[in-house]
Amino acid sequence: MSNSRYGTKVARLGVCVGVSVMLGLGLPVGSVAQEDLPEGFKQQGLPAPPPAEQIEAGKRVYFTKCVWCHGVEGAGDGPGAVRLWPRPRNFNAGTFKIRHTASGQLPLIDVDLFETVEHGLPGSAMPSWEGILTEQQRKNVLAFVTTQLVQDRSWQDEEFEELFVLQLDQLTPKPNTPESIKRGSELVVEKKCIECHGLEGRGDGNAFNLKDDWGFSIQPADWHKCWNFRGSRQDPYNVENIFRTFSTGLNGTPMPSFADNTSVDERWDIANYVNSLCEREQVIEAPQGEVTDEIAQTFSTSQPLQIDPLTDKPKSNFVIPSKYVEGELPTDEHDERWNLIPRRWIAMGGQITHKPRNFVNRIDDMWVQALYNDTHISFMFRWDDRTKSIQEDEVDWDPTEVNLGDYGVEEQAPQGSTFAEDPFHQESIAAKQKDGYAVYNDGVAFQFPIKWQELPAPRKPRYFWGDETFAVDLTKWTADGTLGVYEGTGWDQDLTELDFQEEVEVVKAEWADGRWTVIVKRPLKGDYEEVAYLEQGKYIPMVFFAWDGHNGDVGRKMAVSAFYYLVMEPPIPLSTYVYPGLITVGIVIVEGWVLGRRANRRKAKDQA
Amino acid sequence: MTWLKLVEGYMPMQMISELAGSILVFALVNWALNRSGMGIPKFWAGVGVWIYIQLYLKYRIYPPIPFSVRAIYGTVSACGIFMWVSGSEGEWQEFKRPVLNVMDGISGFHRGMRTVALIVIPLALGGFAYNSFLPSFEEPIELRTVHPAPPATTKVHGKTFVLQVVENPYRVNNEGKYDQAYTDARIVEQAMGRLMKDVNNPDYNPWDPNAEGYIKYVREGGEIFFQNCHFCHGDNLNGRGLWAYAFNPIPANFTDAGTIAQLQETFVFWRVSKGGIGLPGEGFPWASVMPPWEQHLTVDEIWKVVMFEYWHTGYYPRTWD
Repeated sequence: MSNSRYGTKVARLGVCVGVSVMLGLGLPVGSVAQEDLPEGFKQQGLPAPPPAEQIEAGKRVYFTKCVWCHGVEGAGDGPGAVRLWPRPRNFNAGTFKIRHTASGQLPLIDVDLFETVEHGLPGSAMPSWEGILTEQQRKNVLAFVTTQLVQDRSWQDEEFEELFVLQLDQLTPKPNTPESIKRGSELVVEKKCIECHGLEGRGDGNAFNLKDDWGFSIQPADWHKCWNFRGSRQDPYNVENIFRTFSTGLNGTPMPSFADNTSVDERWDIANYVNSLCEREQVIEAPQGEVTDEIAQTFSTSQPLQIDPLTDKPKSNFVIPSKYVEGELPTDEHDERWNLIPRRWIAMGGQITHKPRNFVNRIDDMWVQALYNDTHISFMFRWDDRTKSIQEDEVDWDPTEVNLGDYGVEEQAPQGSTFAEDPFHQESIAAKQKDGYAVYNDGVAFQFPIKWQELPAPRKPRYFWGDETFAVDLTKWTADGTLGVYEGTGWDQDLTELDFQEEVEVVKAEWADGRWTVIVKRPLKGDYEEVAYLEQGKYIPMVFFAWDGHNGDVGRKMAVSAFYYLVMEPPIPLSTYVYPGLITVGIVIVEGWVLGRRANRRKAKDQA
Repeated sequence: MTWLKLVEGYMPMQMISELAGSILVFALVNWALNRSGMGIPKFWAGVGVWIYIQLYLKYRIYPPIPFSVRAIYGTVSACGIFMWVSGSEGEWQEFKRPVLNVMDGISGFHRGMRTVALIVIPLALGGFAYNSFLPSFEEPIELRTVHPAPPATTKVHGKTFVLQVVENPYRVNNEGKYDQAYTDARIVEQAMGRLMKDVNNPDYNPWDPNAEGYIKYVREGGEIFFQNCHFCHGDNLNGRGLWAYAFNPIPANFTDAGTIAQLQETFVFWRVSKGGIGLPGEGFPWASVMPPWEQHLTVDEIWKVVMFEYWHTGYYPRTWD
């Protein structure tokens, strides 16, 4: 897949030809004149082989910690691999994504591989091993992996291997000025980044036809979620990470190195632009990737989101504030009044409680905002989804049916043989290809407990569509235009349609450049016995669900959130202004009294 | 302060020793300055130390501690500093002097300070009062019992297990008899990294082709773990799996001494089989996404995965005696 002049394939297939040509020309093999290297790179010698004891010590680490996903032979086929996407790395070919070395070359063991083990690979199952393994243990395991499991290539192979290393330490990042960001936004078009990453960088370009060197489906990065960048090194807003990936490419994937056809200066511009797209405290829109001077200015001054060091994701807040607005509720996402309230980041995981479990979850978060007026409340949901999925074929089941196992909707088999070998098996989607499985509807849903006012705290109806004792009302929209409000009484109980759905309205539902925007408006009050009766100033439990139709999500196969609380903030009462005023006046009086007494005492002292 | 990590499980000790250490350093600096005749006024030293402690608690500790707890620490540290500055009559006078000087306005500078204080104090307290009167909607704190009392018996796949007497059928010695001492000797080391004791010995390495009995069952349990459980409980069983960030309550950390190390193996068997939905009310069954594993795994698979968890974390299950 790699299309650089240092590509793996070139290295492997053209090796004989290349060597003989170079020998024929009388050039020394294994060294290149500095001026032939791309800008910012320098040649470096191969590392010394690790001592045998270190390899042996690393074997003990590998077979305790790593073998479960990476497999006995390091082929990325351990027992964990069958249900993982992205797949665990296959070490055998020596193909590694995150590197400081030129495209197609082996990575630096003590920098690139060490940092991968230290910081993990966000967005995949590879965790950070810092604090779990000692530094020595981490070095040991790398000695084992690089000598015993990387089989097709070797760091000791003076004849065929060389390392051209990006000198990131010696390059000063260009400040993210509006000019740099604007130039970056033009360069991503010129350099065709948008073909895969999409006009607005949500990875929605050529998203569903891409494969890695092993034939597994791979998706372009979503630039709006830098905390999921594999190479983010637990420092997602650091522009150097993007600069590095852009300069060296990701071996084994369609992401090439741009070192040959961009200058260092241009690479900083692109990195600055990509970095500025990562979600910020402030909502910044650059429709179709068109960056005006004004937008560039906002990008360059906006604050990054706070990252929670325990999860390496944005910080969660489980309270969704909603503010009162006069008159009609907003009809689209551009309404100024959305700025009255902060948007909330809703973290979502795959539904893995009940069958069919969703091991390959593609919707990992969602942004939610809510505004209300005297009669209605509007929720705006925005989430990134690389594909707009609308079901084409009729399905056999009703929207109220939840047990779809009878219709052939299954979860991935544990041993994965059908999954791995049969490209047309429905569960092959994640790791194989796009054709050969049913596409269902994208969708979003949220649930409230019915009669939540009567719940004995902290009791709630179960997060998964309620339970026998406490029912929920579930508002669900799907991309074919269906909007329903259902009563749910348990994860395996068919839903019941509620008449209330006649009064609920989808104000807007639009997929554009890799993102859904769905605005749902519902009355605050309905039949108290049937639907949640929303009141001001109370904590109303809420759970969110989302479906990605191109991921085969349907029925219980979906993404799900934890419990959140909707709070419809009441207008500020008068007492909020009155009491602090009285307190301030009181303190002034006390001050006067204290100073007066002090002055009197001093006077008395002076006279005496 | 990312260069100095808070170590999981040792945070309180670390906090106390760091605070004590820095106060010791302050005392030494103060002493040295006094010796060299450049002593800091007692008032500013006291205020400075108090502010330092507040900043330490606010910015050093993670996850952050709530304001109410910091207020308690603030009061306690203020009392301590008060005792320090009022150790003798002379020291107390010295401490008070800057305040009294400002109140009396003994010079132009002090009169200026007095005017500023007269304006700032009412405004600051009024602002504080305004903030506390402003309706705010913080995340409600709901306390959940993590390890509720287990039932006497549990029925899994049609079979009733009496939790007091049932034993893990795979925790066996090479003669096939239940033997906890035998298996305890074969778990990973309790040192950093918790690595297997010997990678070249089929008694200790579950991946050795010649592994048999207990250690082979450990591998089978691990295979189940890494196809089902790691999504939440993490590759290192520390509760930091791929989707842990999305769920609340957060997944259990088995490497913590407060989870499986505290529990009988049969308790874990019950929790795994029945999942979140099988918890009693104090365990918040409605919020837990823990699957009732009897829907996905056989009884044998559950026993094996429980045994793997003890092997991998290096803990012994608690026994009834």
